[in-house]
Amino acid sequence: MIRSFADMDRLASEKGPKRLVVLAPEDEEFMMAVKKSAEEGYTRPILIGDREKMERLADQVHYDISGTEKIYEKSRQAIADLGISMLFSGEVDIAGKGQIPTAYIYRAIIREESKVGKGMVVSVVSLWDIEGLDHLTCFTDTGVNITPDYRAKAEIVRNAVFLFHLLGYPKPKICVLSGKREIGGDIPSYQDFHELKKAAAAGDLDSCEVMEATSLLDIFSPEQKGFRLGDTDIGKTDFPHIMLVPNLATGNILVKLDFALKNVRRRSLVMSSRGPVIIPSRSDFQDSILGEIALGVTVAEQIKGGTAS
Amino acid sequence: MMTSFGQIRKEAKAKGKKRIAIAPVTEHMDFSVLSAAMESGLVFPIVIGAKQVIAPWANREGTRAAHLEIIEEPDAARALGLAIDLVKKGGAEILIRGAMDPKLFLGAVLDKEKGLLKERVASLVSVFDPPGVERVTLVTDTYINSFPSIVEKVTITENVIRLARVLGFDSPKIAALSAIEQVNPAIPSTLDAAILSKMAERGQFGDVTLEGPLDIDCAVSRRAATRKGVHSAVTGQGDIYLVPNVEAGFLMAELSVFIGKTPMACALMGTSHPVVLNLPFVPAENRLTEIELAVLLCGRF
Repeated sequence: MIRSFADMDRLASEKGPKRLVVLAPEDEEFMMAVKKSAEEGYTRPILIGDREKMERLADQVHYDISGTEKIYEKSRQAIADLGISMLFSGEVDIAGKGQIPTAYIYRAIIREESKVGKGMVVSVVSLWDIEGLDHLTCFTDTGVNITPDYRAKAEIVRNAVFLFHLLGYPKPKICVLSGKREIGGDIPSYQDFHELKKAAAAGDLDSCEVMEATSLLDIFSPEQKGFRLGDTDIGKTDFPHIMLVPNLATGNILVKLDFALKNVRRRSLVMSSRGPVIIPSRSDFQDSILGEIALGVTVAEQIKGGTAS
Repeated sequence: MMTSFGQIRKEAKAKGKKRIAIAPVTEHMDFSVLSAAMESGLVFPIVIGAKQVIAPWANREGTRAAHLEIIEEPDAARALGLAIDLVKKGGAEILIRGAMDPKLFLGAVLDKEKGLLKERVASLVSVFDPPGVERVTLVTDTYINSFPSIVEKVTITENVIRLARVLGFDSPKIAALSAIEQVNPAIPSTLDAAILSKMAERGQFGDVTLEGPLDIDCAVSRRAATRKGVHSAVTGQGDIYLVPNVEAGFLMAELSVFIGKTPMACALMGTSHPVVLNLPFVPAENRLTEIELAVLLCGRF
């Protein structure tokens, strides 16, 4: 079981290098992260993008790309299409987004999923490594579906459950987050919670458990006033693995609270039926991008070799 | 501006004792916050409810409860009605929720005719005291309005600005949050944030700087914002964060408290008098700060 980002980094180092196609590494932070991932033995990169920009940036970060495979292309959509098709054909193990609009990547994934007849709903899983918690947790969907309905949420859950199975969690606990509180009635996300609970009980969401909780207040027992994560073992055992967010705005705000909270680190990816696509935020810096690459390497390894034990 | 909850405490004490009405008091009442408020010399309580519940607690308080005023009314709804009337007539300056479900309590307090609602909508402001930050920060609406319209968001913005001024923010910097920092018609909260931003630019909220839409990374980190090409006085310097809906607000407040271990106290805005809701997601150790915020708000509506 991969319990922390440190576990992930170790595994990436041991099981690398994996073939990573990098879509438009045309930014210094991103190019530096790709360089480090090669140096750490995580990846064997293939770079696709604007020749002049890639060469200039590689030079700026002292990255010798003369022996690295490169494909020169300027069109953003063409870069996305080519990179994602390489992932689906098995030519590479991981695809990684550089300076390219995320929507182009999602479009390319949806097209490839359609071709292979999987039709997976595309969703982003953002893992959190929280200081004091003895397992990984995540928020999903934090990037694609603006206001997912129940059916889309069921697919989003399946994607995250698939990822957690790969990471070695045989029956992840799911908290269907909702703004349900003492006032305001049963808002749609709370109705979705009930439906998802039924679906999980019927085995429709693969092996997982939907918790009897829609907020952290429900998880952190109200009887224990002043209780905080790390104060007792309750938080360690009962804290969910997967937190399904009610909508995109909420998901994006919650998951990027790592910018404000000092005891949390974040790594995100899109799980396609053929492998991981890492999608660093445009505001991420080289260390977090490198961490996301390590996540991609870990997942690619688990897909190849089965779940982590 | 208030730098911490410690400063809020100091300023509240300097205001002198306020008369608070607490209702309804039933056998489910938790007196701990009230005891703490009395001990810190902030309040003269007027306790409305079942006398047989109040008397044992008053006895335990001893001399501190010597000036306690007790109004006997065992029926919870009627006790709350008496408390609201008392506040309206000037007999008390602050109303505190006693042992009653927040839904029933707010139903009475925000009743347009008999209650204390003054503005178009009431809204809850979560005030945080983040470690390592040199001032308190405000997030709203974290409880009251589920999915506010742009009209309601305007009032929510006015409400929080009113609190910010009381807390000494003369020219608050406000981030209107959404999923992304670009205006995208497919994401309605980006449109609302852009409207609020334009209204602020035209001076419709007074002396404030309001930027929106901003995603949270741009809002809290100037470095991240710069990397995304967003340049604004608000990035990394926000005093106030407007959330797009209650799911974001309520859950953001919970994450900050339960995971981030950030001290948080709340203030209800949009009413004619300060009201302390004493909600379950507020940490027990910060509930006294809520009374202190209410003390600071007295006479400032």
